[in-house]
Amino acid sequence: MRPVVACHCVECRRATGHHVAATAAPRDSVTIAGEVRWFVSSPGVRRGFCPVCGSNLFWDRTGSERIAIFAGSLDPPTDLRLVGHIFVAEKGDYYEITDGLPQAPQGGADRIAEES
Amino acid sequence: MSKLAGSATHHEGGCLCGAVRYRVEGELGAVGLCHCGQCRRWTGHFLASTSARRQDVTIEGELRWYESTPGVARRGFCPACGSSLFWEAIGGPDLEILAGTLDKPTGLRTGHHIFVADKGDYYDITDGLPQ
Repeated sequence: MRPVVACHCVECRRATGHHVAATAAPRDSVTIAGEVRWFVSSPGVRRGFCPVCGSNLFWDRTGSERIAIFAGSLDPPTDLRLVGHIFVAEKGDYYEITDGLPQAPQGGADRIAEES
Repeated sequence: MSKLAGSATHHEGGCLCGAVRYRVEGELGAVGLCHCGQCRRWTGHFLASTSARRQDVTIEGELRWYESTPGVARRGFCPACGSSLFWEAIGGPDLEILAGTLDKPTGLRTGHHIFVADKGDYYDITDGLPQ
């Protein structure tokens, strides 16, 4: 699984109430049990959540080899680390990013993960 | 949550798809950050919320509630897009509004962290705020 990248875009912040932190795994390595509801949040992108409790679970771009999994939904231990931030140009105005990790103003999660 | 670092007394916000919108006529407290297991599973990372008095908040659209601790606390979300919006102590006077759902500018600042003992293992808390 890919290192965790935080996304501060408007869609992720509205969906989760803060910013997102997600890992990613090859699509065919993920088995899902139970009902996931999907919402198409932008062209080619859908977000998966539980229709019973509203838990945010997945971010899935059409055609991508991998599916993103929101890190808070993983059972511990995750053996993962947060390595950077993307879409920082859209971040919320009530917090600062203070961890010193690499930041990208727009996209580039995979690149940040590869360079970490 | 702290009532310090409040701001202007009119705020609006809503979910990702726009089906749920809300309005606050009253003060909002400083943003508290919760790292408990429930909040982390629900949001997908950790939770950031500001306190409002329930009577100051008007909610429009179809909101679904999940009693995450039966009889004690419930969480409000949009059933169409899955946006996490509210946390409420059942029967209490306050409503926690998840800060990322507020329209900008919020005029708010983060204040402190709670349930740090339950935090996720993949990140560190580095902002120097009280825990």
